[in-house]
Amino acid sequence: MSNPQKVEVKKQHCENHQKCMEMIQAVLDGSASPDEIEHFKSHIDECLPCIEGYELEKSIKEGLKNKIERKCCPQKTVDLLKVKIGVSLFILGFVVVEIKIIQLIFQS
Amino acid sequence: MEEDEEVLDIQPRYSKEEQYRIFDKEFMPHIDSMYNFAFRLTNDEDDSNDLLQDTYLKAFRFINSFQEGTNAKAWLFRILKNSFINDYRKKSKEPSKVDYQEVETVYNSSEDAEYESTVDLRTESVQDMIGDEVAMALNGLPVDFRTVIILCDIEGFTYEEMAKILDIPIGTVRSRLHRARNLLKDKLRSYAKTMGYKELR
Ligand SMILES: [Zn+2]
Repeated sequence: MSNPQKVEVKKQHCENHQKCMEMIQAVLDGSASPDEIEHFKSHIDECLPCIEGYELEKSIKEGLKNKIERKCCPQKTVDLLKVKIGVSLFILGFVVVEIKIIQLIFQS
Repeated sequence: MEEDEEVLDIQPRYSKEEQYRIFDKEFMPHIDSMYNFAFRLTNDEDDSNDLLQDTYLKAFRFINSFQEGTNAKAWLFRILKNSFINDYRKKSKEPSKVDYQEVETVYNSSEDAEYESTVDLRTESVQDMIGDEVAMALNGLPVDFRTVIILCDIEGFTYEEMAKILDIPIGTVRSRLHRARNLLKDKLRSYAKTMGYKELR
């Protein structure tokens, strides 16, 4: 990717930085189209604001992913939920049994 | 509410045993991610517990509209996000809709100044920050902007999945993320300034 003729001359100003940044973010997010990935690879070396933008976005993305504490669901919430689901299954089963009993009574 | 009903139509499909199995095997493994999402939205442990339980009970009630083998995590996140908007957002201390629109308008008008305003936030400053500072900057964002960052950067959803979770087109996901990140950079920049990170370099 490092073309020796190009590498020395980097653009100091990006004419279309907002569009560039959307593309750079899509690349970092793994949601860029093949065309965008291609464009990114062939042009990122040429533009200083875009290189800096890429590095900054990358560090923020990593910071969000790795530095912010991930909260885990408290065990008592899990237990309570299981009880509630179990109860609703039980009631459902009970209703089915009840209907069958009523049917039996009315059939006889 | 209406949104939920439209997607979650009830067709008796799974037997009771299957419902139990799907709930255990497909839904329960995501409970920590779901709790973390609830916590990042509400910033309150009690609210997170309530929101999580409401979501899982709703998921169980509408289990027949879940297609086995499809993306359970995205399906659950969508229910949680809708529950949050319908039931929790009203009572929370979030900035109102007006504030949100204001932020978006103000931001749009200063779009041209984007590069100039980001130069003084350095990669090294961000790398030096601790989790609490990054979390506080994230918490400072209006909820719609915070949500896209949580889904993308913390949970790693693709734009396509986010579009489904949020019921918005992929183009809107992209532009909202872009705006959210610029706002986040503003917050991080003010932290970097107060902490004197810039001077350290
Ligand atoms: Zn550029």
